[in-house]
Amino acid sequence: MTEKNLKRVSYAVLTGPALLIYAFIIVFPILYSLYLGFSDWNGYGPIVPTGFQNYLKMFQDPVFLHGLRNNMLVVAVSVFGQIPLGFVLAYILYRKLVKGAKFFETMIFLPITISSVVVAILWSNIFGPAGAVTAILRLIRHDPRMVFTVFENRTWAIFPILFVILLIYTGLYMVIFLANLQKISPSVIEAAVIDGASEGQVLGRVILPAMLGVLFTTIVFAISGSLKSFDLIYAMTGGGPAHYTEVIAIYMYVKTFSGSHFGFGSAVSVFIVVLSLGMIGVVQAVFGRLEARYEG
Amino acid sequence: MAGEVRRGSTGWKVAAYLIMVFFAFLTVAPLMWLAYSSFKPHAEIVRNVFSLPTSFYYKNYTEAWRLAHFSLLIPNSVFYSTVATAATVLLALMAGYGLAKFGFRISAAVYVFFTMGLLVTVHSVLVPLFLMETRLAIANTRIGVLLPYVAFGLPFMVYMATSYIKGIPDSLQEAARIDGASYLSIFRAIIVPMATPVAATMLIYSFLCNWNEFILLLTLTSRESIRSLPVGLLSFASGRTQNYGLQFAALVIATAPMIVFYVLFHNQLAKGFAAGALKE
Repeated sequence: MTEKNLKRVSYAVLTGPALLIYAFIIVFPILYSLYLGFSDWNGYGPIVPTGFQNYLKMFQDPVFLHGLRNNMLVVAVSVFGQIPLGFVLAYILYRKLVKGAKFFETMIFLPITISSVVVAILWSNIFGPAGAVTAILRLIRHDPRMVFTVFENRTWAIFPILFVILLIYTGLYMVIFLANLQKISPSVIEAAVIDGASEGQVLGRVILPAMLGVLFTTIVFAISGSLKSFDLIYAMTGGGPAHYTEVIAIYMYVKTFSGSHFGFGSAVSVFIVVLSLGMIGVVQAVFGRLEARYEG
Repeated sequence: MAGEVRRGSTGWKVAAYLIMVFFAFLTVAPLMWLAYSSFKPHAEIVRNVFSLPTSFYYKNYTEAWRLAHFSLLIPNSVFYSTVATAATVLLALMAGYGLAKFGFRISAAVYVFFTMGLLVTVHSVLVPLFLMETRLAIANTRIGVLLPYVAFGLPFMVYMATSYIKGIPDSLQEAARIDGASYLSIFRAIIVPMATPVAATMLIYSFLCNWNEFILLLTLTSRESIRSLPVGLLSFASGRTQNYGLQFAALVIATAPMIVFYVLFHNQLAKGFAAGALKE
């Protein structure tokens, strides 16, 4: 074998297996669901194309639209809640505004290791009729019969879940920001302080501009990750009561696997991909502008 | 150092402490509550939510262990997590070596192809994956669980491996090549040892993801004998057992190993999560 061929074969042996598994398990199914989404296939018989029927049906279903609204709220909590809060926590640790920084960091990052299912069961107990929230409300209101009933309200049912999401995943963003803050050279900050910059100016002129790139990646993470809220919500409420806390991933799951509507379910999954890529596209455009402004 | 805050800092410090203490309390207090409540019988938990246990009621644990089939779920979880993690990390290191060091023009495209997978959520392939596995008769088998675990781990792992291996100097490999070593033996004898730091982070991060994985296993398996902790735990908790004492004991049994894991590997985990957002 010539040296060139040997190199090619070795390359194929090294990269081939990973590439094959990835293409076979992820890429191929995405293409397949794109195809299935244009049919009303129920698991039996031939796959008959029905055009955009599924997509039209989706947007006429109030359950789907409510799920979409809940999804948007989850994205909002991630982008406008977890990221700023995560940054504030990281900044406090980075500037050593508190003693025992390591202790706080360890505690706040801890939930990341705990399975969403455990978190969900724990918190649905806390919010449940015999749980801590009801007990505290009873103490405050002096009403021993009071029960926490937010889950019975269509508009507000999702909010306890949003609270848990905020609580559990903020530590992740804190760790990401902290790692990137620590990469800023201390001498840059020293120089700014010597030149008479205030704490606010250091933050606004030196630190935040350096964080722009990470901010972009964390937002992309938050958007694609917010669709992962499936585990937590599924284990906490199953999307119930009466679809009040459903997100579109749960809607897709229920439609597909309890009714064998594989065609329709595929259309919903395609929509999830399009939605997340669309949002990421918008974020990318905004950041393109921001970066241009900082450089120009 | 960039540490000290110099002026007007008292107010800021108080605010900083308040935020930190409040946040740490909200994350840790529920877990403490869970831990001590798991030693109270059901009736006592319902009657008085916050009270400390009056006696050491360990029966919750023996019952929960038996009823939730932990002796089945834990070995399954260990199996999936270790096998999938080992396979993912090995494949990713191999691919990372190929992509970082061979200098083929196609590598850039393959790398982009892999990293695009970072944006794909599991849900978007769930339906076709289920259909495909059913057709291939690997749904409801262990291999049918392991394959998607590996596949979904690969994009991030390949990204980590490639960017690390790029930084390993070429001179050693070139010398080994001239001495007649094959590419595979260079991988084994030079690349793997030098990539140990990143491999450790990859192993720990990947193990955690696989251990906590839920939706794939829920969808792709229906036999209880091959299910893992998160799925088994949920069916136990939402099943006929509306006994809080048992539920809490089960949650503690499932969580305790991960807390030990976290204490041991906290730094590595933080590194793994942070690597995902480092700007290239």
